Amino acid sequence: MLGANSGAKMTATPVTRVLGVSALAATALMAVLGLIVSPPDVIQGEAVRMLYVHVPSIWIAYGGFALTSISSVLFLRRSKRRADQGRHYDRLAGSAAEVGVVFTAITLITGMLWGKVTWGTYWQWDARLTTTVLLFVTYLGYLALRRLPAEPTVRSRRAAVMALISFVNVPIVHYSVDWWRTLHQKASLSVGRRPEITGEMYWTLLYSTLAVTILATWLIIHRYRVIRLEELRDEEGLEALIASRLNKDVGGH
Amino acid sequence: MSEVATVVVGWGITFVILATYSTWVVLRGKGIGQELGIGEVEPDVEQDTGATTDS
Repeated sequence: MLGANSGAKMTATPVTRVLGVSALAATALMAVLGLIVSPPDVIQGEAVRMLYVHVPSIWIAYGGFALTSISSVLFLRRSKRRADQGRHYDRLAGSAAEVGVVFTAITLITGMLWGKVTWGTYWQWDARLTTTVLLFVTYLGYLALRRLPAEPTVRSRRAAVMALISFVNVPIVHYSVDWWRTLHQKASLSVGRRPEITGEMYWTLLYSTLAVTILATWLIIHRYRVIRLEELRDEEGLEALIASRLNKDVGGH
Repeated sequence: MSEVATVVVGWGITFVILATYSTWVVLRGKGIGQELGIGEVEPDVEQDTGATTDS
């Protein structure tokens, strides 16, 4: 039985160990820069330090959901031609979505806390906040769909379609502050637009994004391998069940 | 809640979530790996045979 799995590896390899240690060191330095080195804001004071976890978190979530969508498209287009029936793309989609959901949760929590000190309220049903919570709930639904009992290929196909539908909300969340009047401020950094922040704050934000990206990459790789192990375990369980059923049938006759 | 307290709670929750999720992922991988016997060191079979050519 194990012979079938002899090619499989544990979740850690020398490369992921290096990546894991780098992520740990990078987030420690991020805390030093964000909490000590970076100066307080003239208007927001110390509360501006929430920027360094809040903004990178939503960018990682966008990236994770984008990766889920790309993998889902590849699954839908290539699964029939691949020997593994596209399971590689499916695993990648699932692991990236899960990491994206974790970072969306962090965005929502840190946003609520930040909102309390700057707006005087934890929550407002404005466009940015509402679309973000909708994003969180939709991808939770996507993860739930992946766990529904079904034939693996059918389940992966359904999940891939849902991933593509869910991704429609990502640009809506991002541009909601431009499209509607919201309590939420405009993007701190945006492509093709002059940054809203400069100096040490700007560099700390960029560095925080890099640190969180390293961590997210490590998490996605590990989660991918865990999904692969889960699949192997399910296959072995199924094989054992079939074998015991066959033995019972033979014994019965 | 003061600005400093908000920052401490926000960063604290972030690190707790990330540490918990990371630990869960690693432990789940190790658990299933052990269940499947993947990654364990194979015992040296030849050592137990006792068949040596040395005299």
